[in-house]
Amino acid sequence: MDILQVANLTKQFDLYKAVDNITFSLKEGEILGMLGPNGAGKTTTIQMLLGVLTPTFGSISYFEKSLFNHKEEILEQVNFSSTYTKLPENLTVLENLTFISYLYDIKHRKDRIIKLADQFNLNNLMHMQCSDLSAGQMTRLTLAKAFINYPKVLLLDEPTASLDPDVADFIRKFLMEERKKFQVSIIITSHNMAEVEEVCDRVIFIDQGRIIANDTPEGLAKTIDTSHVELLVKDGLKRTIEICHEKGMKYEIKGRYIVIDVKEENIPVLLYNLMEKGVYYDEIAIEKPTLEDYFLQVVKQKHESP
Amino acid sequence: MKHSLNRWSDMIYWPILDLLIWGLTIKYMTALSLNPQKMIISFIAGMLLWTFVWRGQYEISVSILEDLWSRNLINLFVSPLTFWEFISAFIIIGILKAGIGFIIASSVAFLLYKVNMFALGFYLVPFALLLFMTGWWVGFFVGGLILRYGTKVEQFAWSMVYLVSPFSAIYYPLSILPNWAQTVAKLIPTSYIFEGAREVITKGILDPKKILYCFILNCIYMALAIFFMRKSFNKILQKGLVKVY
Repeated sequence: MDILQVANLTKQFDLYKAVDNITFSLKEGEILGMLGPNGAGKTTTIQMLLGVLTPTFGSISYFEKSLFNHKEEILEQVNFSSTYTKLPENLTVLENLTFISYLYDIKHRKDRIIKLADQFNLNNLMHMQCSDLSAGQMTRLTLAKAFINYPKVLLLDEPTASLDPDVADFIRKFLMEERKKFQVSIIITSHNMAEVEEVCDRVIFIDQGRIIANDTPEGLAKTIDTSHVELLVKDGLKRTIEICHEKGMKYEIKGRYIVIDVKEENIPVLLYNLMEKGVYYDEIAIEKPTLEDYFLQVVKQKHESP
Repeated sequence: MKHSLNRWSDMIYWPILDLLIWGLTIKYMTALSLNPQKMIISFIAGMLLWTFVWRGQYEISVSILEDLWSRNLINLFVSPLTFWEFISAFIIIGILKAGIGFIIASSVAFLLYKVNMFALGFYLVPFALLLFMTGWWVGFFVGGLILRYGTKVEQFAWSMVYLVSPFSAIYYPLSILPNWAQTVAKLIPTSYIFEGAREVITKGILDPKKILYCFILNCIYMALAIFFMRKSFNKILQKGLVKVY
């Protein structure tokens, strides 16, 4: 069942079209990644999905109800968190969560806040003023805030940016668990491609306000047919470079390693050529194309296009 | 300086305002010099009643500003909170704060200067409410400007309400003002209240027309200010002129 339906969404600022006729949906319990280079239109889209920016054209429906006609009713079941937002710094963590719980009219608010404090490891920070929180602690607090109303749809703008790797890992696992337990539908924007690959069921790729791809992370990665062969060459680096030149393969020297971009079907040929030219290597690693490769390719194409 | 409203207001607005208010006040005080107690009552009553106007306006515009500074507006707007609830919260907090502040300040005025504000009796209720109303519409207007233009007009949050103060006859009667200013004062709701309060203090009576005129003017300005603020709110939803996050 589609919990969110976006149709022909467009946002025009004077002469500049930030979002250009995008259509997509979000299923119940689905985690959807929204990717794209800076200025692609992700934040504008998120703002429209939250009802804080009016679209120039198009429609947004949650639970089969129009956001514009049932805004308050819908927003009771939606929440949002971003690394770029803050909560009032003159209030303590507890005061902020209490205030937000009133905004959403949460029943048994004390119990809910205690549970969130446990889940997001905020127990020792409850009486600390938000001005004294580190960036990571503030992110944990804004995430706790985002879960306070048991949302059915969660919009997360860069949820793990500025977090320590262990905390970011905890957040990712937490999101996947919440989805599993409560069928929460989540839209995530992130610049961490590995995170998107790990967490998201599907990815929409936005560029210049348009959706240019809508697929699983694996599906998008598969559109790139270039793998990376990484070699720690013991003897014959010059000969390896010669082979790359002869075969028209791109390569990069990274410290003691050479990384060669090669089409997947050409890997055996490359290895044969290396053997033929007497190149000895101590280590070899073959990396299949990833979402990051897809991202880089799109960005590169953008820069190359006139 | 070209882009800073603060610098301009520091240089021009406040000195002119001070000159107007204190010049006219001294003129009035000189006329009352034979009755120092009357002078003290007139001065302190004006000062205390003005806190209703100031607090009503301050609570709305500075709260909006604080939400902008702390990048908290997004947290409010993405919640089920309605525009009217957003506004009402400021009004309620303003009433509470001004009420508490007024009681404390009035007690201090009584202890130090033997000025009993509660001698205004029942009149204090309509006076306070009508002065609040003026504060609110100024607050809504400034709130609308802040929503529309962001922090570059933040100076209005502290200064705008004082624009009506020279014409409000806070510390002196309207008759002290030059003719043109008396005409302007007729369009300023607070002038009727401060004149009325002086009437009650000195003669123990109040012309009910003053309350009526003040209420009508307040209603008109309130409707216009709310309309402007609503339009500004819609504008940020349309244009995203204020960076909500």
